[in-house]
Amino acid sequence: MHRHTFSRKYLGIPYAVFLLLFVVAPLVVLIYYAFTNGQGEFTAQNLTGFFSDPNTLGTLCYSFGIAMVTTAVCLLLAYPLAFILATSKLKGKSVIVLIFIMPMWINFSLRITALKEILTWLEGNLAYHPFLNTVLGMSYDFLPFMILPIYTTISKLDGALLEAARDLGAGELQAFLRVTLPLSLPGIMSGVSMVFLPAMTNYVVLDMLYNSTYIMGSLIGSYFAAYNWNGGSMIALILLGIICLFTLLTGGAEEENTRGGALL
Amino acid sequence: MRIEIFNRYRSIAALCICSFLVLTCPVTADAAKSGGREAEGEVTLRVCNWEEYIDLGDWDEEETIDLDSGDIIGENTMTEDFTQWYYETYGIRVKVEYSTFGTNEDLYNMLTLGDTYDLVCPSEYMIMKLMTEDQLVPLSEGFFDDSDQNNYYSNGVSPYIREIFEKNEIGGRPWADYAAGYMWGITGIVYNPGLVSEEDASSWKILNDPDYKRQVTIKDNVRDSYFAAVGAIKSELLNSEEFKNDPDYQKRLEEEMNDTSRETIAGAQEYLQDVKNNAYSFETDSGKADMVTGKVAANLQWSGDAVYTMDQADEDDFPLAFAVPSESTNIYFDGWVMLKNGIGEDAAKQHAAEAFINFNSRPDNVIRNMYYVGYTSVISGGEDMRIFEYADWCYGAEEDEEEVSEYDLGYFFSEGDEEAYVITAPSDQVYRQLFAQYPTQEAISRSSIMVCFDEDQTREINQMWINVRCCNIYDIPVWVWIFAGASVCVLAVFGIRKMRR
Repeated sequence: MHRHTFSRKYLGIPYAVFLLLFVVAPLVVLIYYAFTNGQGEFTAQNLTGFFSDPNTLGTLCYSFGIAMVTTAVCLLLAYPLAFILATSKLKGKSVIVLIFIMPMWINFSLRITALKEILTWLEGNLAYHPFLNTVLGMSYDFLPFMILPIYTTISKLDGALLEAARDLGAGELQAFLRVTLPLSLPGIMSGVSMVFLPAMTNYVVLDMLYNSTYIMGSLIGSYFAAYNWNGGSMIALILLGIICLFTLLTGGAEEENTRGGALL
Repeated sequence: MRIEIFNRYRSIAALCICSFLVLTCPVTADAAKSGGREAEGEVTLRVCNWEEYIDLGDWDEEETIDLDSGDIIGENTMTEDFTQWYYETYGIRVKVEYSTFGTNEDLYNMLTLGDTYDLVCPSEYMIMKLMTEDQLVPLSEGFFDDSDQNNYYSNGVSPYIREIFEKNEIGGRPWADYAAGYMWGITGIVYNPGLVSEEDASSWKILNDPDYKRQVTIKDNVRDSYFAAVGAIKSELLNSEEFKNDPDYQKRLEEEMNDTSRETIAGAQEYLQDVKNNAYSFETDSGKADMVTGKVAANLQWSGDAVYTMDQADEDDFPLAFAVPSESTNIYFDGWVMLKNGIGEDAAKQHAAEAFINFNSRPDNVIRNMYYVGYTSVISGGEDMRIFEYADWCYGAEEDEEEVSEYDLGYFFSEGDEEAYVITAPSDQVYRQLFAQYPTQEAISRSSIMVCFDEDQTREINQMWINVRCCNIYDIPVWVWIFAGASVCVLAVFGIRKMRR
């Protein structure tokens, strides 16, 4: 007789159902639309069309540009801050971290609207610097996502490693370059992927700051508004592919670095 | 091992299917239940309308519209009032499931995805598209029976609008067979008279006028932008005396404004690219606020939103004005249509849907909707003078007003040339809210409908739009490529060195 017993793996069932309904099924639909034409026949034309159209390729480059600059700005702002916060012996440290994280609790469109007013006050007419404004807006929006992971990794660093480095004759700078920086790479990587990917598609910031050039998100939207679901799905799929590739690359680096850290 | 995994997958799959069934069960049960209720005499009406496009009630006491013929105030939502009215009038309970959409294209996509509605309110070109695709149920004969006093639409629609709805055909059938108008308007330019002259604002060419560099916004919308572009590139022809005096002026104007020839599309693309480099932005919703806060000096706007913008600005004592381009203006209509896949053969439902249109066409409700929404209703009221009274209440001059102008609305409110429909308004209203709410006959005479383009034309125009809005890869400057290449090299070298170590 086989008795039905409750086993722990049943706890995974809701998640499996969730994944199937909200991840796998939409993905299947997406792939179906991407590789069919309006009549439902199989075609690879959407794919070749994407890579032969100077507009879509240009948009991809433009989105990349915005995402890259945004990520760089975030990193340059976030790393020193996270480093100082994590290594200082300040008393109200957590309060300062909180101040930087707090904007995340406020609706982002509200924050961008406020930023818009400040930038208008500074620049006079926003329309002259669409790229700059977009990068500023996105950096403001995504900065907490960069600070948090870096701060966490640095504050978890084993202080003994730094002491060892100094004992072995390394100066402040050398200790930082050889020990702290490599060991905080995983934090940097997860920060980068949390900022870079949304920055490629977040067209709301773009719209609100009067940038009239499409990025990937708005391009997909325009395809759907023109009832071209197939073309739009293909762009979404390509974007997904790029993101996967990106995650694989950074993921690989992360793994290597943790190994490197263990060796140190 | 492999079998075990397979089994596990199979059980997961089975469970998924089970849960799916469990999830869908309530839906079918619900459907059965509502079917049961309908048998008891309750009708469910699924209405889908633009966002903020109907009176949602809850007005303050001081918002009461105190016309001479009586006070009008919105206490409940229009749908609640309809439910009550329908029960009192026809003795049938109706349940209105009211939802909203953001753009015509959203609505169309929702319909394609299988959402079912009984009554929707898209713009004229979407109505034309739905008519061509045979998705609509024609309005019943009873709907046009003028002897029935509950037929507020048929008895009250403006003769001017009625004519347009009867004159314009698609597939040999006039719009009027399928659609009952709701709101209408034209496109124009809201401008700050302190910065822009009326003459400059009265041409589509203002959008790429270098004198207003980065000071004008245009709509982030293919159709409105295309119309403006066509108007601008054909400006000379459209403004020529010869063209304006052509006996076939109206017909020729519509042909020119709906021109989708290669050259015109290419010309529009060039023009819009110029606009992109000159205008403040292509805006989706920020134009109104930016106009009021003075960020921009002029703004392509729909007349209903123009009224709203000017009202808002007036609150800050910041007068704005409205101009209708001399080339041509796009006249648009939003209208009620009944969908085949919602109404089907259900006569009770169709009756409720038509009653919903009629209820929203009853003069007091028209005034409530107009007050709440800001757009102009297609209803003039017929015998009932209240809608004209409302226009006069809104825009008529106070007795101590110094400069007044006579503003004739005969074309909209009456069939003959009666003098009864003249508003004595403060002179500045001739360029302001009154002009946007009820444009003059002179402005209307150069209006053109923008038809629903067929699939090929739509594709070409959309491609044109993408060409305008996207960054072309060939336009990326060389230094960007060099910089990008250099950074990739640095990263690669760094990565390789790292791996070697």
